[in-house]
Amino acid sequence: MTHHTASTTTPSTPGSSGTGARGGRRPRPYRALEPRRSAKIARGVLLFVAAAVTLFPFYAMVVLSFKPVGPVVLPDSLAPWGLSFEAYDRVIGANSLLRWTLNTFVYSAVSVVGVLFFSSLAGYAFAKKRFPGKEVMFWSFIAMLMVPYHITVVPVFILISNAQGVNTYWGLILPTLANAQAVFLMRQFIKSLPDELFEAATVDGCSEWRMYTSIVLPLIKPILATLGVFVFLWHWNDFLWPLIIGQSNDMRTLTTGLASMNAENVPLNVVLAGSVVAFVPIFMAYLIGQRYFKEGVTMSGIKG
Amino acid sequence: MVSVDTLPRTRRGVRGARWREARIALLFVLPCLLLFLAFRFGPAVAGSVLAFTDYTIGADTNWVGMENLRRLSEDPLFWRALRTTLTIAVLAVPLSILSSLGMALLVRRAFRGSKLFRSIFFLPVITSLVLAGIVFTWIFSESGPWSSVMGWFGLPDQSWLSDTTLVIPAIVVVAVWSRFGFGMLILLARLQDIPRELEEAALADGAGAWHRFRYIILPELYPALFFLGIIETTFTFQIFDTVYVMTGGGPANSSYVLVYQLYDQAFRYFDFGYASAIGLALFVMTFIVAMIQRMTLGRER
Repeated sequence: MTHHTASTTTPSTPGSSGTGARGGRRPRPYRALEPRRSAKIARGVLLFVAAAVTLFPFYAMVVLSFKPVGPVVLPDSLAPWGLSFEAYDRVIGANSLLRWTLNTFVYSAVSVVGVLFFSSLAGYAFAKKRFPGKEVMFWSFIAMLMVPYHITVVPVFILISNAQGVNTYWGLILPTLANAQAVFLMRQFIKSLPDELFEAATVDGCSEWRMYTSIVLPLIKPILATLGVFVFLWHWNDFLWPLIIGQSNDMRTLTTGLASMNAENVPLNVVLAGSVVAFVPIFMAYLIGQRYFKEGVTMSGIKG
Repeated sequence: MVSVDTLPRTRRGVRGARWREARIALLFVLPCLLLFLAFRFGPAVAGSVLAFTDYTIGADTNWVGMENLRRLSEDPLFWRALRTTLTIAVLAVPLSILSSLGMALLVRRAFRGSKLFRSIFFLPVITSLVLAGIVFTWIFSESGPWSSVMGWFGLPDQSWLSDTTLVIPAIVVVAVWSRFGFGMLILLARLQDIPRELEEAALADGAGAWHRFRYIILPELYPALFFLGIIETTFTFQIFDTVYVMTGGGPANSSYVLVYQLYDQAFRYFDFGYASAIGLALFVMTFIVAMIQRMTLGRER
């Protein structure tokens, strides 16, 4: 074992000379790292199995939602024929699915607009302005990332419930607008923009508000998109907070509504039809803007 | 105002411009500041204070000192929830990271379909845990596909979710399924940073695939793997949605986790003081993990 350690440490320092000599003999050195044919086949098989396992729950969800409502029998129920819209008829007709979809949409969309607006304003000030207490304020925002959500959820609930905010949109949305991650990412992004862009506008006598709308906002479009997608996804899938605040049937979101259906012994096909309805908007958005999803989720994870 | 702006050379002008800048900046920060005071700072303090009271709806609040913490330390359900939460973390975190690593290594080089595989593996990450819970409840049910698969191996037809021991692995499977795509993306980003020359040189020196992985790739990945470990651990400490949907903490409290107990105490029994004490315990756990991260990273530097 040990002699291998020695052999691998040597090339890391001179590097190019060794590769160059070998590269002369092999016209395309990059091919050298290409796996052999047998390895490629093994890789293909492994990936195919992993993909099948990953996708199976989605397949089951969709196929079972298109089956006539009734007991699920394997393996027939998983066959992609004998389809019907019965489950969709029932879930859209008898339940409050449309209302829940509307609630989820309001919760997600309003929160995205609010978070982006407030965090870009604050992020801009933190990145490019001088004012007393700036550092203390910014770092105490960031410190809030350390405090788990679950230590604040009880006091926030008490606050909202004392303000008669239970079962209201504002009670649902307002507390989620305090988003430390968003402020942090905005500030980092705007800080990386050259000062000259802002100074030129100041010399021109541009008002601060115009500066924000016509200079800052266009410049931060990339981060607005990434962060917007992430915040939307987070709210669309959020569960605990809507569960606590949206207690009446009319104020449920898709996640809490479907969980309640699932608990009430509604037939599986019907619950899954509802799940498909909840999943399709996110899936469509994912197909269109994959890059933003991946960026948003990994970026937020890094600072989570 | 305009004259002050255009004449910043006088001492008064400079001060005026500074003051104006600060005023505008504070105005820009104000909405966020108010939101944070109301919904983050205030509640963080209140949450810690509540843990030492008997706050509930419609009754006088009394200061009870360490009473809630004493109750917590004598509450078998709390210790059980703590143990269950830790067990899930101990199983789910390494499994999820290993799957992330495996998949990242398999799709790291561009080939026909590599992008598609990456997109497929990431799909569960953006899927609601409630939907995952609903589908997996069926998958693990007695007539579900999982028990058929078990049947092929001669194991009895049974619902994993109604078995007091098997319910934990079932929840771990869902946790791994929904998280490995995230780790895969993080590791892929790091893998792409490893210079090709390094691996080619090792190959030229006759290092086999395992040795290239062990001595070149893995050391480069250590920080990312460590980071993932922290993220996934804190994430698993807060597991709730899937447990709520799949088992409701059962059977016989065998999947009862900490956040579930917090939810029960606060929103079913309205014992906000006791719930806050559980929140405090969660905070301490997260804090310990974060400290381990800081100390280890500090030593590396």
